[in-house]
Formats: sequence, C-alpha cells, structure tokens
Amino acid sequence: MKSNRFERWLHNIHNTQDEELSCSECFDLVSHFVEVELSGTDPVVKMPEVKQHLDQCPACRAEYETLRDFQRLENEGKLPSVDDLQDLIH
Amino acid sequence: MNTERTNQEWLHDLNASGAIQEAAIADLRDLLLRAALYFFSRNLSDFERNNGDEISQRAEDCAQDALIAVMNHLSDFRGDSKFTTWAYKFAINIALMAARRERWKGVSLDALASSSEGDFLGPMLQDHSNGAAPEEAAMQGEVRRIIQDVIKHDLTDKQRDVISMVVFNEVPLDEVVRHFGTNRNAVYKMLHDARRKIKSSLQEHGFEIGEMLGLFGSSG
Repeated sequence: MKSNRFERWLHNIHNTQDEELSCSECFDLVSHFVEVELSGTDPVVKMPEVKQHLDQCPACRAEYETLRDFQRLENEGKLPSVDDLQDLIH
Repeated sequence: MNTERTNQEWLHDLNASGAIQEAAIADLRDLLLRAALYFFSRNLSDFERNNGDEISQRAEDCAQDALIAVMNHLSDFRGDSKFTTWAYKFAINIALMAARRERWKGVSLDALASSSEGDFLGPMLQDHSNGAAPEEAAMQGEVRRIIQDVIKHDLTDKQRDVISMVVFNEVPLDEVVRHFGTNRNAVYKMLHDARRKIKSSLQEHGFEIGEMLGLFGSSG
C-alpha cells in the first residue's frame, strides 16, 4: 500500500507540466469534459489539460468520476430516485 | 417533475418569477439532492460514525448549498454541456467536501504535518528496499536521497507540511485547505511546485522516470 502510494507519486512527478490547470479552472471545464466523453469522443484529445489535472488531483478526479457516472445514468434514463438513494444509505 | 427541460428552458424558468421559477427550483433541488445522495452512497466509508438519517440530512444540506451556488452562478453557464451536468458538479463538489469532513472530523492534522528533520520517505519505501539487488538498492537509495534533499532544502515549511499530509498520509485536499484556511487552488499549487522541483532535480541527476518506476516495482 505504502509503496503503491509512492509509485503513484512518482507517476505524478513524471507527468508534471510547467503549467497546469488550477482546481477552479478544472471545475469550470469538467462538465464539458464529461459531455464530450459521454458523446463518445475521446475528451483527452480535445481537452488534454483537464485530463492532466484530473490525473494529478484526487479531489477533482473523485468529483469528475461521480459526475460522469451520474450523468451517464441520466442519459440512459436510469437516474435513481431520492427514495432509491435513501435506501442505499440506510 | 419536469427534468426534460432544454438548457434554454432551464435558464428561462430559473430566471423567471412566480410559479414557473418555483417549479424549476423545486425540480433542480430534487436533482441536486440526488447528486449529493449518489456521491454519499458511493462513499459510505466516510460516514462510519453517522446513521442513515444523519447522512440524509447532510445530503439535504448539500443540496441546499448547491442550489444557492447554482443560482449565484447562473450567468457563468456557457452552454457547453447539458445544464444539469453543469449544475450537478456543484452538488458533487459540496458533497465531497462534506463527506471528507465527516471522515476526518477529530483527526489532528498537525500530527500529520512534517517536521523539517527526519526521513520523509523511509516509511513509504521500506517495503521495497527488502530483496532488491544491490545495484537496484543503491539506485533506489539515490532516488530517495535526491527527493529527500529537495523536500528538506528546496521546499518551504508549508510545502513540506502539505506534501506530508496529502502524499504521505493521504489527507484529502479539502481537509488540508480547511486546516490552513486557504483554498484548493493554493494547496494544489504548492503540490505542483514541489513536483516540479523534484522532477527537475531528478532529471539533473540523470534519472528518467521509466528507470525510476522500474526500480520501485511499477510497470508504469
């Protein structure tokens, strides 16, 4: 576990760019990024700087993954109701 | 409930008045609540000390805060995604911060900050130093020394503390933000600056990342 953490950090160090998006800039762009991804286009080609930030920032990444999965459910007409979700947390 | 509005309809209805606006706000609030509950349902380990009713109340609070945030930022919506996708991110962002807050409530982050002395990387690497060939072990030691030198000599005290919390102790970014009374951008920048310095130093010493990852057992 500890060594995995270190390896991840080495990857992060390797993928460090001189200029990176801030978390606020990523937040502004992430809904577009998700939209592109769910349309079937590779968002990395169109918005590589967002992908780079998501790979570096665990908080923004967790938000992105939730947003993507939740939006996918909506697109598929499978958005769970409040009652369904309440059942999951009780 | 009408969740089938177009982007223009959402904006029109939310900016309207009277019953039209009230209906749109009620629909939006329901969607934001679902987004918050969805995040919580995927992160129940953050709520080990809470019962279902408490989690449910947290989600209600998040939905309310997200609704206010969305209404305050309506003019920022550029239309480059569905309106709901844009709105959900506010609820998910607020839910994530609330969830991490619950998980780390009562934990002293001061204890997880670094000291300027000591072996930062030792605990992270001890698993791997065993059993390595002598040449590999020597190179591991060199990489470790370079990284440690940068951390000790080239980073500010605050950068060291942030590295220690986020990288070595996996404290969520937003808890570090809360601890220092700053914002996510500032903490991210500290981490970014530290990574840049370490990367630069490793390159100056002739280390390529593929070589390093191989040394520490990663397939890349």
